[in-house]
Amino acid sequence: MAEYKRVEPDLDFIKGVMESGGDTLNRCYQCATCSVVCPLSTPESPFPRKEMLWAQWGLASKVSGDADVWLCHQCGDCTAYCPRGARPGDVLGAIRANAIRYYARPRALAGILSKPSGVLGMVIAGMVLFFVAAALWAKVTGEAFPFPEGYVEYHKFLSVVPIDIVVLPIVGLIAWACYLGVRDFWGDIYRGAGLPLSYNGTASSPSFGILMTRYLWPAIKEILSHERFKKCGQTSERVKGHLWALWAFIILFAVTVYVMIYADVLGNLWPKAGFHTPLPLWHPVKIAGNVGAIMLIAGIWMIKTMRENKTREGILSSSTQDWILIWLIFAVGITGLGAEIIRLAQVKVLAYPVYLVHLGCVITLFVSLPYSKFAHLLYRTTAYVHQHYAEDIRAGKAGFGLEKPGRPAH
Amino acid sequence: MSKSILVVGGGFSGLTAAVEAAEAGYDVYIVEKESYLGGRVAQLNKYFPKLCPPTCGLEINFRRVKTSPRITFYSMAEVQSISGSPGNFKVKLKVNPRFTTPQCTNCKPGEEASTTEVPDQFNFGMSTRKAIYMPHPMAFPNQCVVDAAVAATEEGQNIKAAMPAGHVDLNQKAEVVDLEVGAVIVATGWQPYDPNKMDNLSFSQFDNLITNMMMERLASPSGPTEGKILRPSDQAEPKSVGFVQCAGSRDENHLPYCSYICCMATLKQAMYIREQNPDIEVYIFYIDIRSPGRKYENFYKKVKADDKVHFIKGKVAEVKAGSDGNVILVAEDTIGGGRVEQEVEMGVLATGMQPVGAVSPLPGVKYDSDGFVIPKEGIIPCGCAKRPVDVVSSAQSATAAALKAIQVVRRAG
Repeated sequence: MAEYKRVEPDLDFIKGVMESGGDTLNRCYQCATCSVVCPLSTPESPFPRKEMLWAQWGLASKVSGDADVWLCHQCGDCTAYCPRGARPGDVLGAIRANAIRYYARPRALAGILSKPSGVLGMVIAGMVLFFVAAALWAKVTGEAFPFPEGYVEYHKFLSVVPIDIVVLPIVGLIAWACYLGVRDFWGDIYRGAGLPLSYNGTASSPSFGILMTRYLWPAIKEILSHERFKKCGQTSERVKGHLWALWAFIILFAVTVYVMIYADVLGNLWPKAGFHTPLPLWHPVKIAGNVGAIMLIAGIWMIKTMRENKTREGILSSSTQDWILIWLIFAVGITGLGAEIIRLAQVKVLAYPVYLVHLGCVITLFVSLPYSKFAHLLYRTTAYVHQHYAEDIRAGKAGFGLEKPGRPAH
Repeated sequence: MSKSILVVGGGFSGLTAAVEAAEAGYDVYIVEKESYLGGRVAQLNKYFPKLCPPTCGLEINFRRVKTSPRITFYSMAEVQSISGSPGNFKVKLKVNPRFTTPQCTNCKPGEEASTTEVPDQFNFGMSTRKAIYMPHPMAFPNQCVVDAAVAATEEGQNIKAAMPAGHVDLNQKAEVVDLEVGAVIVATGWQPYDPNKMDNLSFSQFDNLITNMMMERLASPSGPTEGKILRPSDQAEPKSVGFVQCAGSRDENHLPYCSYICCMATLKQAMYIREQNPDIEVYIFYIDIRSPGRKYENFYKKVKADDKVHFIKGKVAEVKAGSDGNVILVAEDTIGGGRVEQEVEMGVLATGMQPVGAVSPLPGVKYDSDGFVIPKEGIIPCGCAKRPVDVVSSAQSATAAALKAIQVVRRAG
């Protein structure tokens, strides 16, 4: 007798996918053209045909346990060749948007940050928070509030100490949310891939060192060069803008860390070794910061233009989440650079408000990391790592972290 | 008012509609753009599911045309205009010259005198013909044709000189014929969808990638290989053949509808191959096998029972070069899982049927976006001008169209 398995469709999941831009889902008739034309699809586990079926049937757990949706960069090649207008590229984008909500802790925050009004509210809340912090800080420093006397220098309004007091706890919470999301995602895709469990029923886990060197580092190298994204056919031009934005974030992150060490920590504890912001314009770190800011604005503008063009041409469709992330990053870049220019121009009445808006945008962008489309950074990287890892497990090369990197198993 | 009926297209549908209406007592004109009647069916090797040759069916209709005093047919003719209303249509035809006389049934001497050699479109370019030629061995009317391109040249004169006196007449001119008819049956049929339009299948890059209609010619005893299925690049018998179903059909970017016949045609062609050599492996890549009705379903079961015929559920979306002139068909096996790259010695694209109306519409006839005729009082489509159908259904819809036409002319008269 054949075994029958009852399919229990999760209707809310289907609805969720269809509402986040995957409304063409039910047109798919499973010809698998998409899986063949996809330049990123793997021979053993081609996508996105199977994901289309799972999503149609409402198999939410199947889809959430599938790392392949994150190997997709939404080139639109599948959509261009789809004989039914089912737009698999867009459906996978919608599935990813849903997955981000699914792994978000708390999930309500993902709901808020998926709407423009929610994001705007978050920016305003951030501004209020920093405004209150600045008002309290003015009592400590004795500076005039909200417009400090004399030259425009932002540390007079809000120096690194109160900023850190506000930001660091938030960083901690967000890091925790990111960890929870990635941990749950990893568990799901490990089970979804059907990888073997150990004798006591747990997943085999590599040692931290092997995880880093053998799996994470190759994944990061791929991401830094956009090796896979470059293979995208229909929208390969999107790569440039994305690469600029990514490198801009890396540069700006490095600058932030440098400034934090020298200004926030040393500047206060050991003033001789540290410095106070702002750095002079000729300082290499300042130059790096400005280059990063310009790259960020240029990169995100390229992404925006390309996405608009490709949406107009019908190659991909763009959801609210796509635009929210683009505009939020743009706002961060333009207010940051704007605040610097206005400071140099010494327009006091404009400078401090713009700085406040900038702080509101930055904190919102940061908070949205595990909740918005920004989370693709987490889950796509995890999926890359998992793919390298699963390959090793299937080849019998990785087990319980016992092997040395690069040495084949016996 | 006219009680006669015009049938545009002399393929299986048009012939059927014409003889049915004529045998019911109505005068019928057939207009055929080719130099022979029989249309696409004349190019087939065998019908499915009975696997009998197209002469059965076509010949009996030719005899009914020949013996009926009510049927007038024009070959090499095209409709220039249709005006008027049901019961009273005025139709202008242009009949192109054949440059031969009815007694010219053997082109041999002329062929030797002819220096021009062009691809023979009856065989989809897999063979060549001279400037004087018989359209195909079973052609009706059985009369040679001289290419209009050489009629006014020295070559034309040489052909005329080589042929028996009175057989070639290079002074023939195109004629315009005015007809008055009560109803028009549109039986303009179909053409194979252009495989070059599917850029991912790279049709033009591979000699050993052919279409299903080319396969019919290869398998036909009157075809370029006299019925031996050989691959075009080296005339060797392929040890494996792969079929690509839905090549253009059921695809919004090409033909949005199912062409209805390609699955059965492929199953039939798998039989041709398996009958030719029991060692040839056949791979059929499909989305769904559509074999409607009991007879077709039984045919499918029969082919499926052959363990050398392999069915892979997944559409071929890429064709790559293999070794030694082979082609690699790439698909996802949606049942077995994983990407399949099947190397075969010859690939066959099961291209669909595109109505002729999509490419050369008739004046005064309305078409839908795919090129199928939208019927209206007095303009009656049948066969593949109406929707994609097999030969049996074409004949049925032609008979129905004949009845409709009769009703129109009787109502009007």
